[in-house]
Amino acid sequence: MIGQIANRLILSVPVLFGVLLLGFLLLQLVPGDPAVVIAGPAAPPEVLDAIRQEMGLDQPVMVQFWNYLARVASGDMGRSLISNKTVLSELGGAIIPTVELMVACLFWSIPLGIGMGTVAAVKRGSIADRIVMALSVGGVSLPIFFICLLAIQFLGVYWPIFPFIGRGGPVWTYDGFMHIVLPAVSLGLIFIGPVARMTRSSVLEVLKLDHVRTARAKGLSERAVILRHALRNALIPVVTLVGLQAGYLLGGAIVTETIFSWPGIGRLAVGAILSSDFPVAQGTILVLALAFIVINLIVDVLYALLDPRVQG
Amino acid sequence: MTVTADANTTTATPEDAAPPRRAPWWLRLLRDRAAAAALILLGLIVLAAILAPLISPADPFANSRNVMIPPIWSERGMAEHLLGTDGQGRDILSRLLYGTRVTLLIGLIGMGLGGVIGSLMGLVSAFYPRLDPWIMRLVDMMLSFPAILLGLALVAVMGQGVVPVTIALGVASIPDCARIARGIAVGIMKQEFIEAGRAVGLSDLTLFVRYLLRNAISSIMIFMSLRFGQLILLGAALSFLGLGARPPQAELGMMAAQGRDFLLFAPHIAVIPSVLIFLIVLCANVAGDALRDVLDPRLRG
Repeated sequence: MIGQIANRLILSVPVLFGVLLLGFLLLQLVPGDPAVVIAGPAAPPEVLDAIRQEMGLDQPVMVQFWNYLARVASGDMGRSLISNKTVLSELGGAIIPTVELMVACLFWSIPLGIGMGTVAAVKRGSIADRIVMALSVGGVSLPIFFICLLAIQFLGVYWPIFPFIGRGGPVWTYDGFMHIVLPAVSLGLIFIGPVARMTRSSVLEVLKLDHVRTARAKGLSERAVILRHALRNALIPVVTLVGLQAGYLLGGAIVTETIFSWPGIGRLAVGAILSSDFPVAQGTILVLALAFIVINLIVDVLYALLDPRVQG
Repeated sequence: MTVTADANTTTATPEDAAPPRRAPWWLRLLRDRAAAAALILLGLIVLAAILAPLISPADPFANSRNVMIPPIWSERGMAEHLLGTDGQGRDILSRLLYGTRVTLLIGLIGMGLGGVIGSLMGLVSAFYPRLDPWIMRLVDMMLSFPAILLGLALVAVMGQGVVPVTIALGVASIPDCARIARGIAVGIMKQEFIEAGRAVGLSDLTLFVRYLLRNAISSIMIFMSLRFGQLILLGAALSFLGLGARPPQAELGMMAAQGRDFLLFAPHIAVIPSVLIFLIVLCANVAGDALRDVLDPRLRG
């Protein structure tokens, strides 16, 4: 397991380097001469030179890249070209809403998906199985923005039950809860399909195994056989799936956040890119890439913990 | 599937490596009613997209004063706009036909790009075991960078447009495709006809192209078809966000985004292109699954 994690960490180094290089490149796209931007167009040349020297802009590119790495490591990612707030503070405000949305989405979609997949596998070939499979194919075929628009149209406008603009505060407050319902439900809908499908095929595999037959033979109830002997083993691939599908989920989250004006990282990233706010775009991409490296690491560790056969 | 495996291990020439003949594959495919319906519908949509300039009833880019006309089946519908008009009075049916072209092309080119590079990486990896750990490490690295993030990054550097989105979809499909291609190719490399080819002194290039590539390509293409739906969805989502296609271009995801502002008074502007995307992706998914089951059940999993 340690070997596995070490391997993953080593693989992360070039990825991280590439992302940082990209971030550096993005900052080079900031229009205009940074010294002029800071000192104003009327500043005399010697002042501009002094600022360039102070900021290291007269240094070779490699040195500038090195300085950039040092700044990022200390949390300094520059300032937004639009709000003039530091990128770090923009990011800091956006991380919690995104995590909140993801957790709220997984909180209902994973159990439901696992439940649906298990029922489908146990009653293989039945009408229930067919319905689950049809729903999951339909679910992965629906564009996420369509789901969001329908949710707004029906549960926000036609029957105005839930608000659909912005975040109402922390999720445990009434307002916060009401605001998160529509985005979390919409995002979860695209995730149930893959989870149900994976659970189904995984449970079907496990049900063929000897230990399940033994459990049945010694007279355990079907319920106990499935819940304790089959499902537990079947969930291992599902954990991997959640990790592998994290990118798919992020794609959905970015669209969901944008449509519901949810103040998370995804909306921040899209807004920054559309308005050519390169420092913020750079910051969001760095943070999201870092999040993915960490998620992959966590999935590897979880996988090794759940399945002792994986010893790296 | 033991029959298939046996047939593979006992053959000595690459041409015989295909599964034994039962009913021809397309007949078995068409017997699956859902798959047949999906294929036919997808075929019609593709045909309509190809013929867009010939069959579209109006200029898809021309504004008019008839804004937000609902489709023909509602009371205020107009015969000259079968599916109504959008917020700028443009004919939705015509925009739909042109938009489907762009949406499908983004998916197809992205898939082709990723498919060619990915398969080459996977096949080379299996052909030269010495390169295998390096190529696979590269693939693992690419896997940890999700498609949507790649899309955001490319658009951030290159600016909004169809090109960066297509490249992102292509690059994002490389690692999955490389893994599958490698898996298929490793199986082929173990077979006797490769050994036989080596023994009679064939060059690496001949061996690679005529013996390995030829036998692997159908399985790889089936796998790629399974991903097509997801690529279409991702491309449409990026265009919906305003990162892909740019106005006045017509693209289904962008059309849905433009309809967002009129959701209250004219929901059809957003709903019609969204439903079309759903249909395309659904057909691609259903047909892809059926194609895999018929042609290459080993890929299931």
